Amino acid sequence: MTVSTEPTVRDLQRSRSALAGALGRLFLDLLETARDLYRVFVLTLYYSVRGEGNRPAFFRQMYEIGNRSLGFLSIVMGFIGMILVYQGGLQTQRVVPDLSLLGATFLQLLVRDLAASICALMLATRVGAGIAAEIGSMVVTEQVDALRMCATDPIDYLIRPRFLACLSMFAALVVLAAGVAFLAGMWTAHAFFGINPRTFANVSMVSVGDLTIGLTKCVAYGAAIPVISGYCGLTAFGGSEGVGAATTRAVVNSSLAVIILNFVISGAGYLAFG
Amino acid sequence: MSAETSSASSPAFAGLAQRANEWLGVVGGFGVLLVEILRRTFRRDFDRSEFLRNLYRMGIKSMPIVTVTALFTGGIMVIQAAPIVQRYGAYGLLGWGAGFGTLREIAPLLTALMINGRVGANNTAELGTMAVTEQIDALRALAIDPIGFLVAPRFLAIVTTLFLSTIFSDALALVGAAYAGLGFLGVEPAVFYRGLTTGLLGFGDVAHGLEKSVVFGVVIGLSSCHFGLSTKGGAPGVGRSVNSTVVASAAGIFVLDYLLSFALS
Amino acid sequence: MIRLEGVCKTFDRPVLSDVDLVVPESCLFGLIGPGASGKSLLLRMITGLMRPDSGKVTVAGNDVLAMGDMQLHEYRKGIGMLFQNNALFDFMTVAENIAFPLRRLFHLPESEIAERVAERLSRVDLPGFESRLPAGLSGGQKKRVGVARATVTRAPIVLYDEPAAGLDPVTSQKIFDLLRAEQRAANATVIMVSSDLDRLLTVTDRVGMMLDGRLIFVGTTDEARNAADPRVYQFVHGNVDGPL
Repeated sequence: MTVSTEPTVRDLQRSRSALAGALGRLFLDLLETARDLYRVFVLTLYYSVRGEGNRPAFFRQMYEIGNRSLGFLSIVMGFIGMILVYQGGLQTQRVVPDLSLLGATFLQLLVRDLAASICALMLATRVGAGIAAEIGSMVVTEQVDALRMCATDPIDYLIRPRFLACLSMFAALVVLAAGVAFLAGMWTAHAFFGINPRTFANVSMVSVGDLTIGLTKCVAYGAAIPVISGYCGLTAFGGSEGVGAATTRAVVNSSLAVIILNFVISGAGYLAFG
Repeated sequence: MSAETSSASSPAFAGLAQRANEWLGVVGGFGVLLVEILRRTFRRDFDRSEFLRNLYRMGIKSMPIVTVTALFTGGIMVIQAAPIVQRYGAYGLLGWGAGFGTLREIAPLLTALMINGRVGANNTAELGTMAVTEQIDALRALAIDPIGFLVAPRFLAIVTTLFLSTIFSDALALVGAAYAGLGFLGVEPAVFYRGLTTGLLGFGDVAHGLEKSVVFGVVIGLSSCHFGLSTKGGAPGVGRSVNSTVVASAAGIFVLDYLLSFALS
Repeated sequence: MIRLEGVCKTFDRPVLSDVDLVVPESCLFGLIGPGASGKSLLLRMITGLMRPDSGKVTVAGNDVLAMGDMQLHEYRKGIGMLFQNNALFDFMTVAENIAFPLRRLFHLPESEIAERVAERLSRVDLPGFESRLPAGLSGGQKKRVGVARATVTRAPIVLYDEPAAGLDPVTSQKIFDLLRAEQRAANATVIMVSSDLDRLLTVTDRVGMMLDGRLIFVGTTDEARNAADPRVYQFVHGNVDGPL
């Protein structure tokens, strides 16, 4: 029995509808994930007010997120401060010889965007990976099922303490990080461009709008990272590979969320405050 | 897992010294691994089909992430530059203003961070799972060199992927910036692109970013392979390794970014 | 009494097909079958940790599938479960692990909790292990702590998923005897999944065998030993020749 090897109209239709099917499936998957994520977020908020939570875990998480991130964040923010002031100084010098506003512009950028966003990206990797790894290993070793069997919602027992800890620690970390970056920038400005530290420490360009935008970002990132990472951890399956996959997903999705939230809040802030 | 060896007199110092010791050990491990990989690369002693297979997979996996990141990052650069541009009325310079920072710094940096999260973490998870299920030992028992067969191809694939992704990301970030410029400031894309090419921005700036991306690729590749291979302790151990690699790579990227900014300018 | 009717579940391929099962009250029911035949999945259906694509699950007259989160919490007060890999909480001590269901489900006073934990530990032959951590225990010890946690609430239904996996023969038999004694003392309905057929069949009242997601046999222990179905016979006696 001979079989024709020419692609038939039916084959072409099938491949086109296969592509449409794949895209459709992707869209539906995204929608379902968004819906689940929203559900986890709402439940986290609910349990934050009405739940039993897990007090020892809360304090442990505050230490884990706050104290343990300090060294890493300080190094990163220090280098960022140095790089930005150096590059910014070079760039401005190409156009305008006067560098007196370098410090003021830098501070405004820090407050309005950089301190919160860079901290968030760094924490998305460090804290996000940690949360997903911990919760993910509990899922694949059936500890989360054991929790459910004891009438304990993992969102209440596992995610809530991390959510509250991250929210409270994040703002403190951002302030500290901004401080480190600013000091590093101040040193760089002095060492490479001879700018007087007093000139550099200029708060005149930081407005209420900038502070509002910065604070909104702090709250948004501090809430998004633990919820997204916790969700990725809870949806782990399949042994050690599954834990690795969940950790990867948590880092990527948290980072993406920070970038997208950054764009949305910055855009809204620009439209509101100019 | 740190031993409680704190002396009664200065536990803080002992802890700090121990951390420094750990990190020196890690950096040393990177160095050893790098030498091993380079030796096999120059002798062409690595598995070509594994390299191509990993390159394909990593490229596919990172495409959506890099796309979204680049587009939004371009937009953010414009939003940040917007108040300054408006104040000085320098709309024609928006292309240059946003482009400079993007091409030299932001695009290579953010692309490296996202690829670190997506490809680096994934690589560590795969190698880590192999390590805890004794597959690496099994390879050695079959007289197959794990570095040449597994590690070197993945390392080279990561460096290549990051390099190509940075090019892609540069282009997309500029597109995102152009449209953000249109949306927020009413700057026509044509004006934006003219601003890019007026001569204040040159190929040197693009090359600066690309050179950085190669170095970042090396960091991510070394880190993910090192932590993957040295994983111990079952599923939680894999999670811990992924955590470590993501943190170590990110720190390494920032430190090297700083050093390179001086060295290359 | 536990009743499943027409339970089906498909992942990439059907993993449970049309399962009808009745476990009478106060019965020690053994669930056997080759790997990946759906035994653990069936246990999860009963606890409500997984929902079937179709079919009904009725436990003590309650429809499990119709339960919301609050009702599931109430329902789980009446079930004790031992997971395949113990699922001990590795960030808690042995005593905290065993006390956890008591604290979360019943909110008992501390003195009574401590008493029950000590009683359970001595029953599983681990007296004085209260402040140990799971990471420092041997496989057999972890299993026994798991058994203690599953039985501490004195629930009328208890599910054991591979209670003797990875244990040496002597410890295995001790565990099975212990679980049998517990079941008799509490008059509980018990389902036990195990691959250790010889020992399992020394303690079961009734037996069910699963193969490729289908329940192919249900009957008393003796009926299993003399089964007419050649597949059941081969499996029960561990013969190499036969249809499996």
